[in-house]
Amino acid sequence: MLTHNVAAPSSLCPILSYDCHFQASDHLLFPHTLNPNLNHATRKIKGFRLKANFWDSIRSGILKNNATQIVEPPSTVEEEEELLPEEFVLVEKSQPDGEVEQIIFSSGGDVDVYELQALCDKVGWPRRPLSKLAMALQNSYMVAALHSVRKLPGQEGNEEKKLIGMARATSDHAFNATIWDVLVDPSYQGKGLGKAMVEKMIRTLLQRDIGNITLFADSKVVEFYQNLGFEPDPEGIKGMFWYPRNVDEQTDSSMIMTMAYWLAKSQQQPSPSPFPLLSHFTEHPFPPHLPT
Amino acid sequence: MLSRGIISNFRTPTPTACKYSISDKDLESRGFLLRRSISDLNLDQLNSVFVAVGFPRRDPEKIKLALQHTQSMLWVQHTKSQKPVAFARATGDGVFNAIIWDVVVDPSFQGIGLGKAVMERLIEELLDKGISNIALYSEPRVLGFYRPLGFVSDPDGIRGMVYSRKQNKKK
Repeated sequence: MLTHNVAAPSSLCPILSYDCHFQASDHLLFPHTLNPNLNHATRKIKGFRLKANFWDSIRSGILKNNATQIVEPPSTVEEEEELLPEEFVLVEKSQPDGEVEQIIFSSGGDVDVYELQALCDKVGWPRRPLSKLAMALQNSYMVAALHSVRKLPGQEGNEEKKLIGMARATSDHAFNATIWDVLVDPSYQGKGLGKAMVEKMIRTLLQRDIGNITLFADSKVVEFYQNLGFEPDPEGIKGMFWYPRNVDEQTDSSMIMTMAYWLAKSQQQPSPSPFPLLSHFTEHPFPPHLPT
Repeated sequence: MLSRGIISNFRTPTPTACKYSISDKDLESRGFLLRRSISDLNLDQLNSVFVAVGFPRRDPEKIKLALQHTQSMLWVQHTKSQKPVAFARATGDGVFNAIIWDVVVDPSFQGIGLGKAVMERLIEELLDKGISNIALYSEPRVLGFYRPLGFVSDPDGIRGMVYSRKQNKKK
């Protein structure tokens, strides 16, 4: 029988209350068999950097005797919110054999690029060069991740940690943030984890006083984000893209075709052309996609 | 003060003309300098341009912070007054995606191609960096400004979405 533990003493870090509709259906969390295709390595878990007294105050729900109350004006932080820690457990589950699985949210950017590549493959996204992926993560203002950590009782220090979700945001650190690349391992989808991840991201961004949080959503996921509080085309403001390729074809060829466009546009370009490779592609002129 | 008469005297481009609608040289000859960094940019004056076009007045220190964390920016300086009269910037991850923000032209200098000049060069800079996914959020009244530059709204049904705190007070 599955149990749903909250604040289990054996866990390495306490559990933040998870205000999603999660609690109702325990059986949805675990697949009964581990996906053998997952490419992950067993590795020791890092210590969580959380302060004990902070967690005590969360658990008790009271902030008495705590001199450092949140004093930000209500416009930036909803109600009286404690600052979200960088890493915490979303859900913890126990198996009949005593194995415990924790789903951990982190916003500190602790994402292995190889694991991320494998996860992108799993959800069917087109491949992107690893070096570029790494750079994109590095240049992102926030990289949020979901990791699954499994451990057997009595085997402290021998845990299996794998990446099961990620989302990142770029930002100017002051006004605007844009969320990109939200993905959850298909084996863990449908359980509210993606929703929780994005929700925690939003909360962290708002706590850092970044008020304009934006994203671009495929028509299929507009409702998902609406449920999180996003509004499409607010006040008629439209998302626009520069000569977009088909959404499926996010490969480097998009860059080549874009250059082909510039070549076509600048026919009086003096030699040498700034785009020497374009001669190969002039056979396939890129027609500007203008709306009717 | 520029008048539209100057534009009608514009000669046809020579064979070695550049790829932009108005070349750097032409802008210079009309009393405008193209700038690409935060240096010499008077943030209070920039803030005034923002306000003049209808943006809320923002804390200059926060504007400074935003610009310090902006990977690409372009502005036009009015040579005579040294003031910024057009501006645009882009943030992103430096490899895949870029979003263009704060595209403004001082109302007194609108209609002479400065906004276009800034946008064309900003796009070029992003393409040069290898970034091909260039996006922005456009108010409905300026969709017609972005379309001729090559922007398409809601391609393949992709919608721009913004988080609204007012909706979520109950949470």
